[in-house]
Amino acid sequence: MKLKIKMRRMLLKHKLMIISSIIILGMIGLALFASFLAPNDPNFVDIAQKLQGPSSQFPLGTDHLGRCILSRLIFGTQTSLGTAILVMGLMMFISIPLGIFAGFIGGKVDYLFMRICDTLMAFPSFLLSLALVGILGPGLFNLILAMVLVQWVYYARVIRGMVLGVKEQNFIVAAKVCGTPKFIIIMKHILPAIISQVVVLVFMDIGGVILAISSLSFLGLGIQPPEAEWGMMINDSKPFFRNYPSLMLYPGIMIFIVVIAFNLFGEALKDALDIKRVGGGVE
Amino acid sequence: MFIKQSKILRNFLVLLVILASFITGCSNKATEQDNASVKDQSKVVTFSMTGDIGDLNPHTYFPNEFFSQAMVYESLVYYGKGGEIQPWLAESWDISKDGKEYVFHLRKDVEFSDDSKFNAAIVKKNFDTILDNRKQHEWVELINQIKNTEALDEYTFKLTLNNSYYPTLQELTYIRPLRFVGEAAFPDSQDTFKDGLKSQIGTGPWVLSEYKKNEFAVFTRNEKYWGTKPKVDKVVVKVITDGESRVLAFEKNELDFIFGNGVISQDSFQFLKDSGKYETKLSEPTATRTLLFNTNKEATKDHKVRLALNYAFNKQAVIDNIFYGMEKKADTLFPPVLEYTKIDINPYDYDVARAEQLLDEAGWKKVEGKPFREKDGKELQLEFLFNSTDNIQKSIAEFVQGDYRKLGIDIKLTSQETNTFWTTAFQGNYDILFTSTWAVPFDPHSYLASITTDSENGGPDYTALLGLPEKKEIDEKIKKVLLTTDEKERKMLYTDILSTLHDRAVYLPISYQSNVAVYHKNISGLDFLPQEAEVPLTTIDVE
Repeated sequence: MKLKIKMRRMLLKHKLMIISSIIILGMIGLALFASFLAPNDPNFVDIAQKLQGPSSQFPLGTDHLGRCILSRLIFGTQTSLGTAILVMGLMMFISIPLGIFAGFIGGKVDYLFMRICDTLMAFPSFLLSLALVGILGPGLFNLILAMVLVQWVYYARVIRGMVLGVKEQNFIVAAKVCGTPKFIIIMKHILPAIISQVVVLVFMDIGGVILAISSLSFLGLGIQPPEAEWGMMINDSKPFFRNYPSLMLYPGIMIFIVVIAFNLFGEALKDALDIKRVGGGVE
Repeated sequence: MFIKQSKILRNFLVLLVILASFITGCSNKATEQDNASVKDQSKVVTFSMTGDIGDLNPHTYFPNEFFSQAMVYESLVYYGKGGEIQPWLAESWDISKDGKEYVFHLRKDVEFSDDSKFNAAIVKKNFDTILDNRKQHEWVELINQIKNTEALDEYTFKLTLNNSYYPTLQELTYIRPLRFVGEAAFPDSQDTFKDGLKSQIGTGPWVLSEYKKNEFAVFTRNEKYWGTKPKVDKVVVKVITDGESRVLAFEKNELDFIFGNGVISQDSFQFLKDSGKYETKLSEPTATRTLLFNTNKEATKDHKVRLALNYAFNKQAVIDNIFYGMEKKADTLFPPVLEYTKIDINPYDYDVARAEQLLDEAGWKKVEGKPFREKDGKELQLEFLFNSTDNIQKSIAEFVQGDYRKLGIDIKLTSQETNTFWTTAFQGNYDILFTSTWAVPFDPHSYLASITTDSENGGPDYTALLGLPEKKEIDEKIKKVLLTTDEKERKMLYTDILSTLHDRAVYLPISYQSNVAVYHKNISGLDFLPQEAEVPLTTIDVE
């Protein structure tokens, strides 16, 4: 209870935290209500309206196929944020149980687990996902699969480290001595002890995930047209960047704002929760 | 406090040292380069292509590029302006009355780049190794027709055919496979198709002098060349896959010119043209940009669906907005300016109402509250395959996707780079394929011949058309027309074949494409050659 009060006070103290959380909430709002907020159908092609400047019908102008840029940016929030959250969720779904399992059991299981991690981590993660998408073929599903398959090890490893730190503490030892079943120890004692660190980890890295998704889409490997996605919008605007730099600027700014907001939020959260060191995986 | 300051100071000093070394390093390099350019007065032109030149073997196909094969190897006769057959390695030729025997009198002053003689024996040897792999070259009907090759004397070569075959000379002008490598280039097995070449020895104006796979190739002038010698000493061909990077490299003076079709987007071309800083040129229409429907797939098997797709395509919008009016609208598979291709047909003009009606008739009905049409509970989704290395196909594909969407057709875009693109295309794993005809001298007869054969070096059209009930009939007619000696009958048959193809609506011709050339003002002689794939490197000059 005391901790909670302390936390709340510290959170409020943090201006950055408030600003970043407003931005994040705003983005989530955009994503949820995209179909109400967007002035036009983001996929409606009208080539005669190609590369128009801002007007009342198209507040930010149109792209090379005559689609409304503002609408595409708003719908892009949906794809970018949605995919990032899905990827992060799936990664946690795999790495939390595995990390805890390896850390808590220890011994040979842990040894084997660590070697698997070492093998996968020997490659740069982005390159490995790139290769995987290359093999599986481009597409949203394959993109998610490739990212999750490659990056869960980082989180599993970090979580294992957290468990190792908690495992030897007295309250766990006491529980063990009392003969509490292992499952109960994990659920009641270990998980609550590390969950705040995990949350910080998630927030600090989700910006990286968004960036990775946009990068892959920029390369044409992720989300496929006509779906709106920021990375892809940047790629689409490449041929026009000298005459129409705004085409590239808008989605770039969106990515920048979201990633910065998540990073600041993660930082602030880390300070607020007084967590010394959290290592992330996504560069 | 003091410690902290000194740390900052130290860091600053380190940074300064690093920066200083960078600056001096760069300037040294620059002076070296200056020296080099003063010493070396040779003329060099640099351009770029989308792919690697491959192993530079005239008897094989992908990944060999047409343009590089044409630089090093030559043919017996040359395809001149307007389709005129000109003497090349053969000075003259006699054709027997029945059209089955061709006697070529070879030039006596030709040498390969390794000083070996070009004579009838080496011509026969090249022909024979090509004929050993007939199946691979099936799309060239001439190769199927050759009965016998003979070296009559040192400079006379005789070709005997099974039947009189009217495009014989035209097919001898092809860049591949009927071109000649020197004796020393043959592998031990003598089979150039299976085992490749020992070295790239040809008679052409250029010799490959330096090569790094997927990076660059340097060709130097063949000083012993028998014909008009190139004006520049060296040609550097860089591999740049991306069109925008190519434009940037050109603007930074790293490239002297841009040449080809699909190498840069129409928007970039327009941008370079409007800037006024460079010279731009557009060739006469060469080939037809066309979509090909796969008649084996559930939806596109239906004639009505294919018709609907034809009617629903707004060609004029594409031409006005994507091509900036630079290309001409195409209604027939081949430009009507080619021989035998002027046919009288009713074009499928843009008509959305008609397209919707046809889709309804075909059973693909609109469903309330759903964006796409359905038939028996299945959505109308078509897979559109295009080549990602081409800088024009993507924008058209995206436009088609957006426009067909309004009709309730879901287009799934699949882009693949050249190699995988062709593999997928030949396997027939698509509903709609972005392709083009082959331009002269291949159009129309060789293109049509490729429809009749499943040769892996032919076209994907063979597989795509298999679902047509008339396929066999069409094939027989194409085979017949190639061997027809009567001009009138030939014309009739061509009209018949092309009208059937139009009537079956298996193709959706979009526009007649052109080669583009963009070059700096100090470059001259960049004139388009009759064969689309040839780059005019012998006439090019740099000041």
